[in-house]
Amino acid sequence: MAFEPTAIKAVSASVTPAPGVRNVPEVVKLIDVSSCIGCKACEVACQEWNDLPANVNRPFFGSYQTVPDLDWNFWQLIKFNEIQRDGRLIWTLTKYQCMHCGDPGCLRACPAPGAIVQYANGIVDFVQENCIGCGFCITGCPFDVPRLSPTTGKVYKCTLCSDRVSAGLEPACVKACPTKCLSFGTRDQMLAQASYRVEQLKANGYDKAAVYNPPGVGGTHAVYVLPYGDSPEIYGLPRDPSVSFVDVWKGGLRWLGNVVIFGGIIGAILHYLRFGPRRVPAEEPVEAGAAPRPTEPVPGDGGNG
Amino acid sequence: MAVRERRRVLVRRYSLFERVVHWAVAITFVYLMLSGLALFWPPFFWFAHVLGGPALVRIVHPYVGIAFIVALLVMLGIWAKDMVLDRLDIEWLKAVPRYATGQEEGVPESGRFNAGQKLLFYTQIVAGILLLLSGIVLWFPMQFTAGLRQASFIIHDLMAIIAIGALIVHIYMGLFYIRGSLQGMVEGVVSRAWARAHHGRWYRQVEGTSAVITEEAHD
Ligand code: HEM
Ligand code: SF4
Repeated sequence: MAFEPTAIKAVSASVTPAPGVRNVPEVVKLIDVSSCIGCKACEVACQEWNDLPANVNRPFFGSYQTVPDLDWNFWQLIKFNEIQRDGRLIWTLTKYQCMHCGDPGCLRACPAPGAIVQYANGIVDFVQENCIGCGFCITGCPFDVPRLSPTTGKVYKCTLCSDRVSAGLEPACVKACPTKCLSFGTRDQMLAQASYRVEQLKANGYDKAAVYNPPGVGGTHAVYVLPYGDSPEIYGLPRDPSVSFVDVWKGGLRWLGNVVIFGGIIGAILHYLRFGPRRVPAEEPVEAGAAPRPTEPVPGDGGNG
Repeated sequence: MAVRERRRVLVRRYSLFERVVHWAVAITFVYLMLSGLALFWPPFFWFAHVLGGPALVRIVHPYVGIAFIVALLVMLGIWAKDMVLDRLDIEWLKAVPRYATGQEEGVPESGRFNAGQKLLFYTQIVAGILLLLSGIVLWFPMQFTAGLRQASFIIHDLMAIIAIGALIVHIYMGLFYIRGSLQGMVEGVVSRAWARAHHGRWYRQVEGTSAVITEEAHD
């Protein structure tokens, strides 16, 4: 863990309050899709800094993308999406990684105490030490980010370089980016920079340019500037990501389950106290040698036998 | 009191095989229930520690699920013929409020199983099959689409809740309310009075066969 417990503001599967007391500003990684040139320096920096042994030597699969998808050992990926719009070909080079949601579905889905934490600065981290490998976070995440390793049985994802950030450095990907497509700073700074960039793009004819900071997940700590902001799908980003499924799963169903379990147990106890055990009186034993003379059956025994 | 020779009349209710199958279903189910509840609600998480550790429980739970479903299907095979609901069972179901409050008048006699037991049986079979199908999806989360996984979580949780609710009633009936039942599922025999009182139609079927045993007993 990169941070002190005093910086943890939310802990998975915890019924008691998180220990965080530090008052630190929230951070954001801003990704200006319009200035990405697809050089993949960020991918290399990520693999390097995190010592990830990814095997990227694979047959060509019809794209410039390094690998088809994120993996347990590949935490951020430039997606090379080829899209047609207004009769033109657009290559949306989109950096893809954990969004570090304000209301992280992964954390709420996680059943293992302390396996997912959210720091006061907004970074969401997986603590593999406490991970039990159930993969619930994969379904809780609206962005399809966490990946299970078949060898360790634990999940992994982008940490937003929580170790570097805690030491006052920017994430490795941001440091490596040669075009300033990536920037890192406090949430306020970055959101102001994002709006400024959107205005610039609009002035340059991208009238649909917009900031992607979806409210359905409580805002994110990886924020995008999208030139075609009206259709986030072309960048591989969900239009309205939300954690409403997690609400049903970890809210309604849990409630129902507890009503059935505790209601059932309490109901059984009350029934027993009121209607007691139902015993059938033993047949009057017959003495050995005597003719078997069963007593009359007692089908109507009401239970005080 | 002087020791006297006495006779008890017992009725064979469950064969050894039936008892082994039942307890295989029961033990696997209880493991699945406790390990599942550990992941369902954090205050139950300690069950996972008792069962050998949370990461281990996550690995073992699906295999026990397979064992459970195999045992459950064997149970289906051996009991399906005794579990068919008939006309008198419908009458019995209408009389449930009386049955549940200890009155006997107007409650029709049952066959080998009463209608409540039959419904429990079907509940567990249907829930078991749905738990298996949804469980396979949750076993390998990386192999299935998000929509399928979400549907599976809802189905798995709902069916588990229904099965556990049914089990609470079942344990209450078998262990506490209907005294003498447990002997049937443990030793295989029940007293003749029990058979007549709770499963009158069944008793008349086995009356006069080798299922009714007269046993010497001592005070
Ligand atoms: C661990 C707790 C359990 C206990 C103490 C228990 C006890 C019993 C007893 C005493 C009987 C005999 C009732 C009779 O002869 O009329 C019985 C029968 C039966 N049990 Fe269980 N059982 C348990 C778990 C289960 C589970 C988990 C299932 C299925 C998922 C199950 C399915 C059945 C069925 C279908 C019968 C026959 C019909 C009936 O009595 O309801 N049991 N059990
Ligand atoms: S993007 Fe997914 S993994 Fe990242 S914080 Fe949000 S829910 Fe969790």
